[in-house]
Amino acid sequence: MNMSAAVTAPVAIRVHDLHKSFGPVEVLKGVSLDAREGEVISILGSSGSGKSTLLRCINMLEVPNSGTIEVAGEAIRLKTSGDGRSRPADQKQVDRIRSELGMVFQSFNLWSHKTVLENVIEAPVHVLKRPRAEAIEEAEALLAKVGIADKRNHYPSHLSGGQQQRAAIARALAMRPKAMLFDEPTSALDPELVGEVLRVMRGLAEEGRTMLVVTHEMGFARDVSSRVVFVHKGTIEEEGPPHEVFTRSKSERFRQFIKS
Amino acid sequence: MDIKFALETFWSLAAALPLTLQLATTSIALGSVLALGLALARLSGILALDLFARTYVFLFRGTPLLVQIFLIYYGLSQFPAVRHSIFWPLLREPYWCAVLALMLNTAAYASEIIRGGLLSVPHGQVEAARACGMGRLMIFRRIVMPQALRQALPGYGNEMISMVKATALASIITLMEITGVAAKLISESYRVIEVFVVAGVIYLAINFALTRLVAFAEHRLNPQLRPPLPISTELKGETH
Amino acid sequence: MTEPGFLDIISFGADGWGPALAAGAWMTILIAIAGFAIGGLIGTFGAWAKISGGPVVRGCAEAYTTVLRGIPDLLVIYLFYFGGSAVVTAIGQLYGAEGFVSFPGFIAGALAVGITSGAQQTEVYRGAFRAVHPGELEAATACGMGRFLKFRRITVPLTLRHALPGLGNVWQVVLKESALVSVTGVVELLRQAQIGAGSTSRPFDFFFIAAMIYLAISTVSGLILQVTERRFSRGVRRG
Repeated sequence: MNMSAAVTAPVAIRVHDLHKSFGPVEVLKGVSLDAREGEVISILGSSGSGKSTLLRCINMLEVPNSGTIEVAGEAIRLKTSGDGRSRPADQKQVDRIRSELGMVFQSFNLWSHKTVLENVIEAPVHVLKRPRAEAIEEAEALLAKVGIADKRNHYPSHLSGGQQQRAAIARALAMRPKAMLFDEPTSALDPELVGEVLRVMRGLAEEGRTMLVVTHEMGFARDVSSRVVFVHKGTIEEEGPPHEVFTRSKSERFRQFIKS
Repeated sequence: MDIKFALETFWSLAAALPLTLQLATTSIALGSVLALGLALARLSGILALDLFARTYVFLFRGTPLLVQIFLIYYGLSQFPAVRHSIFWPLLREPYWCAVLALMLNTAAYASEIIRGGLLSVPHGQVEAARACGMGRLMIFRRIVMPQALRQALPGYGNEMISMVKATALASIITLMEITGVAAKLISESYRVIEVFVVAGVIYLAINFALTRLVAFAEHRLNPQLRPPLPISTELKGETH
Repeated sequence: MTEPGFLDIISFGADGWGPALAAGAWMTILIAIAGFAIGGLIGTFGAWAKISGGPVVRGCAEAYTTVLRGIPDLLVIYLFYFGGSAVVTAIGQLYGAEGFVSFPGFIAGALAVGITSGAQQTEVYRGAFRAVHPGELEAATACGMGRFLKFRRITVPLTLRHALPGLGNVWQVVLKESALVSVTGVVELLRQAQIGAGSTSRPFDFFFIAAMIYLAISTVSGLILQVTERRFSRGVRRG
């Protein structure tokens, strides 16, 4: 990874002082994070640490209680509604920003009533209003890239978990996203299928895509990412280039975490 | 069994078939719209709407359809306001009273079926659509509704059969649909078995056709349950 | 009696319709219980036929449930009412009676409701029997239980536990279906409401009260069924 570029490149996603509570439980207690273009950030943490919530706040699948989120320099406007809850001020803006971010879920979430190809072209055609023929052409190239071109007319239920997840990655890529969000993309897979998904993600990292990856894959965090963020109890406990944090972390908790 | 009489009976009953079908299709069609509204009210998260839909379903499922028909056909005329309203020309007609009662009744049952269908769509698929920047309406139209429809179809098929059977009650408020004509023929001829068999066969035929139709629709709507298409199949011919 | 108000209709006083409606409601309950019980007998037999009958017996049971699922209940009631009357009239003529002899509506109604609910109960019992773990029945045989003892002590209780929720639904259907028996002239709840509606100018009030009584019966019996279900399904794991 080209580290010097990462430091000077423009900020793709900026998270500042993010707070999020579910009922009485405060899951995020003031998290700030900058992701520059071309950076691959692995977000680590034990379950319940708030790492997935952090990711889901970035495209407003969870609405933070306070704090700011900027995507490519544009802040998502929030307002407080009558019952004291925080809500997006402009749903159109949120929808547009979401269409600029590609998200990959732990449980794939492919639309089961559509074929793989239909899944990939759905949003480009209907959200981005691209011509259908063009979207199909691009989708086929993406499916070839993730290695499931031959499955394009299959329905998700006919695919293995690894194939479904690669289809979901193709679907996210079809939005031509400015950054990609991965929410534990390999956690729901059988161990022998993890490799094929990680290979695709490594390929994307090498293309210089901006990626935020919530993961438990230490190998990916160590070898592929340009920066590692360790979330613990709703705050960032440790942060830095993988070769530094994995060898000489100041955080006792992080050392414990990577040992287990 | 007297074949000649059976044939005569068949033609008399067949003449009543259009009315039976008309009652069934009109009330099912109108009822499905109301049912969708009720299902959405249940899932809206708005307390008042939810409560209204719950009460509606409770009342209409907890009382006999015949009572509902009588309430509308005989009951409403008790109120001068109804008799002087613009709806009176319709509410005076047994046909429209039957349609109204059948429609209100089926909506209660169907709303629960539709609600089950809507709830069956995994939340993750909705989130994936949101993450792509789809708006609420587009998500409902393109992701939730098609899948809910598939899920609800078998149950809805059963409900439609119930409605075809329920149209028989319209005969009690003077409509001469199949059962009405059958009752008239029985009381004229006292040949109970023949008339019953012929009428029964006609109802069975309607419901058999309906079952096949639903099964066909299910097959069409569930391509993901069929084996995958060969890769050579091009998508060009596909229309959306 | 002139024009009763809404309260007169429900009142149990001299001019009130309360006693009449209560008697009608009682008749409704009796018809429903009789129909449900007849259906239970038929259902047990039908389920047995479908589970362990030969091809012919199974075919007959299959035909029975298919036909009853496809034709209107009202038609079945007409069959029993007019059919029964035809038989009774014929017998009457044999003994010198003249003219039309009407078959008791209560019996015709209970039989018709029984036949239709029998088809539903067949499916309920069959499904419930399927849910019983075959190993438990095998264990009974292994203990040396005879066929009848096994059926009475093991098969029936196990099947009933699984059947109770379905039977609750059938009961609610039977209760509502009993209203159709009013066409035979039996003075059950709906017929009584019709009589009241016809002799006053307050049809809505009468049918509305009838509807509320149906609702009350179905709600109360639903609660009773729930309690029974809870008592009998001890040890049944709910997924």
